[in-house]
Amino acid sequence: MRSRILRVLRPGEQADAESEQQVRTDGGTSADRPQRGAADSDARADGGVTATADQPSRARRWLDSEFVKSLPFWLPATLLVGLFVYGAIGWNFVISLTDWTGLRQPTYDSFDFEMYEVFFRNVGKGGLLSGPHTQEYWALRNTFVLLVVFTVAALVVGLLLAILVDRDIRYENTFRTIYLLPMSLSFVVTAIFWAWMYNPDTGMINETLRLVGLGSLTQQWISDPQFKLFAVMFALVWQFSGYAMVVYLAGLRAIPTDQYEAAKVDGASLVKMYWRVIIPQLRASTTSAAVVLMVFALKAFDFLFVLFGTRPGPSADILAMMMYRESFGITNWAYGSAIAMVLFVLALGVIAPYLYVQFKRGEL
Amino acid sequence: MAELTLDHITKTFDDGGDEIVAVDDVSIDIADGEFLVLVGPSGCGKSTTLRTIAGLESITDGEIRLGGDVINDKRPQDRNTAMVFQSYALYPHMTVRGNMAFGLEESTQLSDDEIDDRVTEAAEMMGIADLLDRKPGELSGGQQQRVALGRAIVRNPEAFLMDEPLANLDAKLRAQMRTELQRIQEDLGVTTIYVTHDQTEAMTMGDRIAILDDGELQQVGTPLECYHEPANLFVAGFIGEPSMNTFEARVDGATLVTDDFEYDLSQRHRDAIGAREDVVFGIRPEDVEVGADTADGHTYAVTVDVVEPKGDENYVHMTFDDDHETPDTFTATIGGLRQVDAGDSVVVRFPPEAIHVFDAGSGEAVLNRSLDTAEGVDLVL
Repeated sequence: MRSRILRVLRPGEQADAESEQQVRTDGGTSADRPQRGAADSDARADGGVTATADQPSRARRWLDSEFVKSLPFWLPATLLVGLFVYGAIGWNFVISLTDWTGLRQPTYDSFDFEMYEVFFRNVGKGGLLSGPHTQEYWALRNTFVLLVVFTVAALVVGLLLAILVDRDIRYENTFRTIYLLPMSLSFVVTAIFWAWMYNPDTGMINETLRLVGLGSLTQQWISDPQFKLFAVMFALVWQFSGYAMVVYLAGLRAIPTDQYEAAKVDGASLVKMYWRVIIPQLRASTTSAAVVLMVFALKAFDFLFVLFGTRPGPSADILAMMMYRESFGITNWAYGSAIAMVLFVLALGVIAPYLYVQFKRGEL
Repeated sequence: MAELTLDHITKTFDDGGDEIVAVDDVSIDIADGEFLVLVGPSGCGKSTTLRTIAGLESITDGEIRLGGDVINDKRPQDRNTAMVFQSYALYPHMTVRGNMAFGLEESTQLSDDEIDDRVTEAAEMMGIADLLDRKPGELSGGQQQRVALGRAIVRNPEAFLMDEPLANLDAKLRAQMRTELQRIQEDLGVTTIYVTHDQTEAMTMGDRIAILDDGELQQVGTPLECYHEPANLFVAGFIGEPSMNTFEARVDGATLVTDDFEYDLSQRHRDAIGAREDVVFGIRPEDVEVGADTADGHTYAVTVDVVEPKGDENYVHMTFDDDHETPDTFTATIGGLRQVDAGDSVVVRFPPEAIHVFDAGSGEAVLNRSLDTAEGVDLVL
């Protein structure tokens, strides 16, 4: 029993022990290094004999191995995730290759990339620069705009908030909580909240503008195509910059005070100090916050759905919304699946470089 | 390059309504090109003093002048000082070259070529020219330390401020850098304030040392002055390793009476002591003569408690009351080749010219060892 525990604790030694045994039967002394090395390779040459000789203990050892012992811990989760996440993605991909529409069962007799062809042909239809554009073009474009502008804006706002909160202010914890709170709310709640804010007649924003005498600036924020996407991004930045702030705050806290002081004594102004010394050291925070924010941007479906229903119009349509409309609105299942796959590849495009960098740094 | 004056500077911190005095009315004049070491135990205010000079802390009262200009209210950026931090505080995302160039880029109008020339020159001086394109994370502790010094040197500031720059090095390297730092400072002739808690560094490096305790300046003087003529009991105990031996004593006519022994006072001693009754008697370990053969009013029989061999010399801890479990001991240093063992009975002599006497109340020195009679002590050198 005791030796078994030892073997489990130090599995790497098993092989060593084995070859050492061989060395001893060979008559070589284990104290003699070069000779031992030679005997070692001998042992490997006729290693097959050893394997057949102690077959039962092999099976025993297999049962004792770390792999088998760890199975109960990771196998259930792996199976569940494998089936319901990766299995579903796989099946979705298969459906996107069919021509499934309507309320009948799909037929899996012919597979082609027709749906993808249709999608990308429609994106380019009417020219990428001129118009008129199709809904595919608008959905893809808005998804990209949301991804980039929202992420950058949330990062910048979050960074500024973090720097302000980090400067030894009073009620720091209170501010931190206030800024982070919106993120804990559901998209549905914040969407309704912002729908009220943006209401052209009774909404807080237009009311405030009128109150301070800027009535000429009032807009139909969420019905005017000019402001629609901007209004959505503004609300999303409000909701998620708190998250970026917390990530940056943790990053700022990890930078020793010496760095600030050294920069000051070196003659750097406050702005230069942050720009050249502090912010470059927040690269890891930026990357991890950006990845999370981008994924949220791709998932902005709930927010738009609550604000506009399934038809936000070309200026605020995104891929997720279009996928929903195609599939559940007009039962173009195969086409909806293809759009979902495009969205999936976009998300992968965001995550993969991050994972690769993490992997290369050995942090995975 | 400039002279630096600390004129009655005081720094208090507000700690939830309580006022904590970190620096208490400290005045020091530091000459142009001088190497001044600020030394004291942890929490004595030496780092705070340095940080007020750098501008990283404001001062509550007083005036700091650098080259005649009052710099109290100047921002650290505008003070033209360079600081070396204990942690080095190198910018981890920049190369060594970037680290060294940063200060020049931010504080001067020099062209890129000029900056590059100066960085290369300083790097060669510090022997780190081949490391210029590496990041601090790839360097050893000693190399980082050199980069931190190089970063200060390249700025050619009016004053170097060093906050325990050698504290993170191992003992061998520290001893080596100590000499190197002294040589560089002498070559450059830049006014330097060097903060340390290590009295060896203070003794060996400084032109003068300033000893701080509890925010108050205890003494400013050359290392040998502070060693041989301590201003008070604190300096006497802080400077010197092992510390000065002290005994509480009472003056009884021409004799000092301690719990352990009685000591005959000469006329010179009595003049200095005057009418005081309670004093502290002090003597440096190396002044204790072990195995004296002359018997006068200054020799005593004692027992050796512990011997610490150092190779070149032995620290011998001795006691008057050897029947105690944990006896009060005093220390003598003797030559490394002399054989003394624990438990031996020896005769020691406290030579009258080498003793110090302090006022028991204030701790002020009333009598220091006389230097003219001591052999081998030459303050002029």
